[in-house]
Amino acid sequence: MLKRNILSILSFLMIVGGLFAQKSVKLVIAGRDGDYGNAMQIAVDAYTAKNPNVSVELLKLSGDDIYQKTVIDLKTGTGTYDLILIDDPKAMQFQKAGWLEDLDGMYRKAGTSVDTDFISTTIDLCRYPNGPKGKLYGLPFVGNVSLFAYRSDLFTKYGLKDPKTWDDVLAAAKKISENEPNVSGVSFRGVKGNPILTAFLPIFWSFGADFLDAKGIPVVNSPEAVSALKYFVELSKYGPKGTPMNNTAQVRDGLLAGAVGIAPEVWPAWLGKLDDPNESKVAGKVKVTKHPAEIKKSSPMIGIWDVAIPVASKNKQAAFDFLNFLTSKETQKLMALKAGLPPSRISVFSDKEILAKYPWYPAIQEALESGVARPRTLYWAEIENTMGGFVQEAIIGNKTPEQALNEANAKLIQIMK
Amino acid sequence: MFSSGRERAKAPFFWLLFFPALGVMLWLTVYPMFTVFITSFQNYNYITDSRSWIGLGNYMDILSDQVFLTSFLNTLIFCVAATGIEVILGIMLALLFYGDFHGKSLFVILMILPMMLSTMVVSAVWKTLFHYDIGLLNYLLQVVGLPRVGWLIDPKIALTSLILVDIWQWTSFAFIVVQAGLASVPQEIFEASIMDGASYLQTLFRVTLPILRDQILLLILLRTIDTFKIFSKVFALTGGGPGNATETTSYFIYREAFQYFKLGRSSTASMITMVAVSAVSAIYLNRILNTKEV
Repeated sequence: MLKRNILSILSFLMIVGGLFAQKSVKLVIAGRDGDYGNAMQIAVDAYTAKNPNVSVELLKLSGDDIYQKTVIDLKTGTGTYDLILIDDPKAMQFQKAGWLEDLDGMYRKAGTSVDTDFISTTIDLCRYPNGPKGKLYGLPFVGNVSLFAYRSDLFTKYGLKDPKTWDDVLAAAKKISENEPNVSGVSFRGVKGNPILTAFLPIFWSFGADFLDAKGIPVVNSPEAVSALKYFVELSKYGPKGTPMNNTAQVRDGLLAGAVGIAPEVWPAWLGKLDDPNESKVAGKVKVTKHPAEIKKSSPMIGIWDVAIPVASKNKQAAFDFLNFLTSKETQKLMALKAGLPPSRISVFSDKEILAKYPWYPAIQEALESGVARPRTLYWAEIENTMGGFVQEAIIGNKTPEQALNEANAKLIQIMK
Repeated sequence: MFSSGRERAKAPFFWLLFFPALGVMLWLTVYPMFTVFITSFQNYNYITDSRSWIGLGNYMDILSDQVFLTSFLNTLIFCVAATGIEVILGIMLALLFYGDFHGKSLFVILMILPMMLSTMVVSAVWKTLFHYDIGLLNYLLQVVGLPRVGWLIDPKIALTSLILVDIWQWTSFAFIVVQAGLASVPQEIFEASIMDGASYLQTLFRVTLPILRDQILLLILLRTIDTFKIFSKVFALTGGGPGNATETTSYFIYREAFQYFKLGRSSTASMITMVAVSAVSAIYLNRILNTKEV
């Protein structure tokens, strides 16, 4: 009797278990490591707590790794990933190849539409062609834009005005380097490729230079570009000697340790602990703003990451639901408060709780609105690496700025041929 | 078991065992190599799927590409310097620690530790040690009154720093191989040469090293192949920089294939590298297999 009871209970459990098992969905997300990964994990935990039938496998990959893995998977149509993160200048390849699900269509099917709360410069980059009229292939996960940070206490100490132009920055860096012991005038990322180029771009653009002319031909050796690089080389003299191998960690830690006067390129996610006295020796002493101008207006670099659904995904509906949760106001606020991830929604920037914790957040919104996006081309990965290599050669003194940019331009023409 | 190849060829059991191995080799080695060979004559962009024959176009392009030429030269320097120093140090250590002594096994275990660590971990540690502003090495130099060295930021020194790390990690491998070779030689031979009045150096160059010849050649072969493929140290320590000072062929191939998805160019670079490694390996293999010379 007992045996039969146990058997029937077991079989009942198996049937119920089977029913649940059928309904449960597993989403695989190709996400980023570091701050982005931490933030997305918070969103994943919140989502799975609300939706116990959904399990999520979040892969935390480096920038190079995620690009390589997603291209190979999407090209072969394997459908390993249900959601992927894409660096905005590389998005065009994915959009053009038809690898991404058309989100306009998914909204139409759901009887809704994408809301207007996203900052337009960020969501426009998720469309193809870029701009309000393009088709929507992703949503902005993060409203990331490079910012400019400086020690307001040191500026006051040496009677320096808030820097309005890059010339002011150079003068201030010199003054601080020469007078303040154990503090570098500036500090930026100098690793060749993406890091050093990203540090350079706000200067490059505000000096009036650009990558391509109106016909799409590379012009990185224009007189404007040369004077921008000359300026950058001059500025780097007031930075730490180890700059060519400095990356995010060294710049951020130097800033928090009070060893840096001006960080001409910082990212919001680095600054979460800036005003926390337990983590920062300079809490309340660092001012974060948008970049200075020069010939042209302030030109911060927009660096958002889109979240998109691959056409090959087998769980598109569930992925769509998670995508909307991830980019909702509540989740964006949660990720900003807990992980310091800059939001992409206007309403989160004006949230009282957010402003209380990060008083410098309006600078992000302002920078996003005047931000410049990197050129849309299928060859961005190669252009970035090449340009970032030559810029570093100029910084370490291997080549003069003219030489470096002439060679870079010749190489770019070859790449885009 | 079989007295001739002909007899062997008739045995069905032999073929039964032989075919799966042959199949796996054809599928996993010959087929990919053939594909790379074919692709090396094509302009093939993986993302846009455009693929066209360009004959020797990629070869001409790459052999005149400054970055590739620099990377090839760097790879050669790295390969020769790292292999040479590791083998010499390995032989010296093995001779120094010849015979039994108290605590030898502990010493050997300590010696092979670097070799057992993941290269990425080793590189991360060395990257911190090498840092110009906050690294331990420069701190120590400063303490003894010497100027700081731009281990990874000075284009003239960066490649040497990579060689240093490789020597630190792999000298123990050379030591183990030579030491195993030495241990297998009957001690009487060395005793006999001493009885005949040979000096230490005479014994070393006339007896010990000739006996160890095969082990040393094998060691050089293995280290040459391994150092020629150097990738992870470059990836983790320098990213090919500063400038192009530490670009290597493997890193060049990786970037062309998995960052730019230009499979034609990366295949061409792979073919050139493979030919170079094969040529060097063939010389050593020929020496190892051709024992008549001794």
